Amino acid sequence: MIGLISNEMMKIVNRKLTWIILFLLIAITAGSFVMNKLNEEPVSDWRAEQMELMERYQGQLEIDELSPQMYADTENKLQIANYRLQNDIAPVSGNPWSILLRFSGLIEMVIIFAIVIAADVVSREYTSGTIKLLLIRPHSRSKILFSKYISVSLFALGMLALLVITGYCVNAIFYGFGNLSTTDLFLNSEGKVTEMNVFLQTVKMYGLSFLPILSYVTLSFTISTILRNSALAVGISLFIMIVGNSIIEATSYLPGLKYLPFANSDISLYIFHLPARPEMTLGFSLSVLVMYILVLAGLSWQVFKKRDTA
Amino acid sequence: MNQQPIVQFQHTTKKIGRKIIVDDLNFDVLAGEVFGFLGPNGAGKTTTIRMMVGLIKISRGDILIKGHSIAREFEKAIRYVGGIVENPDLYKYLTGYQNLKHYARMVSGISKKRINEIVEHVGLKESIHDKVSSYSLGMRQRLGIAQALLHHPPLLILDEPTNGLDPAGIRELRNNLKELAHQEGVAVFVSSHLLSEMQLMCDKIAVLQKGKLVSIENVHEFIAKDSISRVYLEVEASQTELTKMLVADLNKTAVAGNGPSELWIQMNKEEVPELNKLLLDNGIRVLSIHVQERTLEDKFLEMMEEEQ
Repeated sequence: MIGLISNEMMKIVNRKLTWIILFLLIAITAGSFVMNKLNEEPVSDWRAEQMELMERYQGQLEIDELSPQMYADTENKLQIANYRLQNDIAPVSGNPWSILLRFSGLIEMVIIFAIVIAADVVSREYTSGTIKLLLIRPHSRSKILFSKYISVSLFALGMLALLVITGYCVNAIFYGFGNLSTTDLFLNSEGKVTEMNVFLQTVKMYGLSFLPILSYVTLSFTISTILRNSALAVGISLFIMIVGNSIIEATSYLPGLKYLPFANSDISLYIFHLPARPEMTLGFSLSVLVMYILVLAGLSWQVFKKRDTA
Repeated sequence: MNQQPIVQFQHTTKKIGRKIIVDDLNFDVLAGEVFGFLGPNGAGKTTTIRMMVGLIKISRGDILIKGHSIAREFEKAIRYVGGIVENPDLYKYLTGYQNLKHYARMVSGISKKRINEIVEHVGLKESIHDKVSSYSLGMRQRLGIAQALLHHPPLLILDEPTNGLDPAGIRELRNNLKELAHQEGVAVFVSSHLLSEMQLMCDKIAVLQKGKLVSIENVHEFIAKDSISRVYLEVEASQTELTKMLVADLNKTAVAGNGPSELWIQMNKEEVPELNKLLLDNGIRVLSIHVQERTLEDKFLEMMEEEQ
């Protein structure tokens, strides 16, 4: 099995596309944090700044027609700013972990790249005809498919790690290594303002995001196994990802949508206490994702095992 | 030479929908023989090969490789097989060496030494560290053969192996395969359209037509069986008419050939001395008699026509 996985890794690593993707991943990550640093305005008096922010949030809540998601977000921010002023807790600044946490949106980039890699790993064997020589070895088809799946998953995990490492290093250059015990204000699952460890929140955010990444990897992998077409696999997966983001909004009106994978694939909603529906918890979302992963992986396994290889 | 069966076809049948692609094959491929698998396009050759290596399922019957069913004991049976199915499709973005390493990792007990040995054997030493995308078809064919032989399989399956090889390469491959079969006792199963090549290479020939096995014989018997040869005759130009008349006495027809003094006759090789005597007795000055042996191609095409 280890031999099979190292084979698949060799095939992933020796492709030009992989290196382009890794380059883009590093460049975009580093670029985002450099831009962030350049656009930063020094705050002389945080209290005055928080007052200003509160006024702006209040204005938004009254005037604008906000989507439920945006409304909740603004409300949360208002609550935290209010808490800061009352309890005299300054916002965290200059901590690489806290900046990483704010930029958790970069994880979507890992998802897109992982979709592209996963879409290719099976279908490419078919389009290049190499599937024939691959399958006439003393290994069951299940093992061969499984080794491919493990390899893309490991590669996706590697990309996530690379994102964190690059992001941390760039920020560490600007702000120093950062204190691991720094705390900041967050809303807990009951919606109450609580002090939490920034580093641990960041680890939770990025760590748990592996599951949404894995579910998109599985989706793309399954489509490409069944259709033997990587372009379609990338297209369908990206479409679902983009549509999925707007479905999160719709979930607040239509309760049934909460069982769809999209409504559960954004871990930051739980870090910043913005569940699409009140009854949705982190545990619920993770379970839904695991279910989808198992069903999709099982589907691609059955199809791959049974199919005549022409 | 030990002649145990390596492959046993047992009522092997492939149906796709209602259509029968391969119909009830029953034959053995023995150790130590080069087995040629012939048939026109669409006869089911590739389907048969794909069933042999487990790429497609067998609808009815079975194929045993060294006694193990390819359908039920795939991992055991496939261990004895090395091969190329259709084209030598290898990973183009990897080097030749990486390709071999890839396949070596999938079977236990293949050392680096063995890889280097096989690289040398197929004559790819110079370019083994280049990407396969830069290889010519002949080089890919060689690399394909290298991956097939990597684990010393007792059964070698090659689909159109001479494709893309130059004449020297074809000859080398032919000698190689013969050596593998005759010296090392490997069963070599070759399918090809190149009939002249098959004639030189194979010990036994099986012919498949419309999914059915129509003939399986030793290659020389196959060609010679009830065969009528063409006998070319050269006589003094002035005596051709007389010759024709004499030949007619034998109930044969002599047909004018290329030159004014040339004739040819359809007849058995065994009748040639009789013809010669008749001509000499009648004062014909025979300049040359030449029997054109039939080739596998002649026989094959004839057979296909009969079936039509």
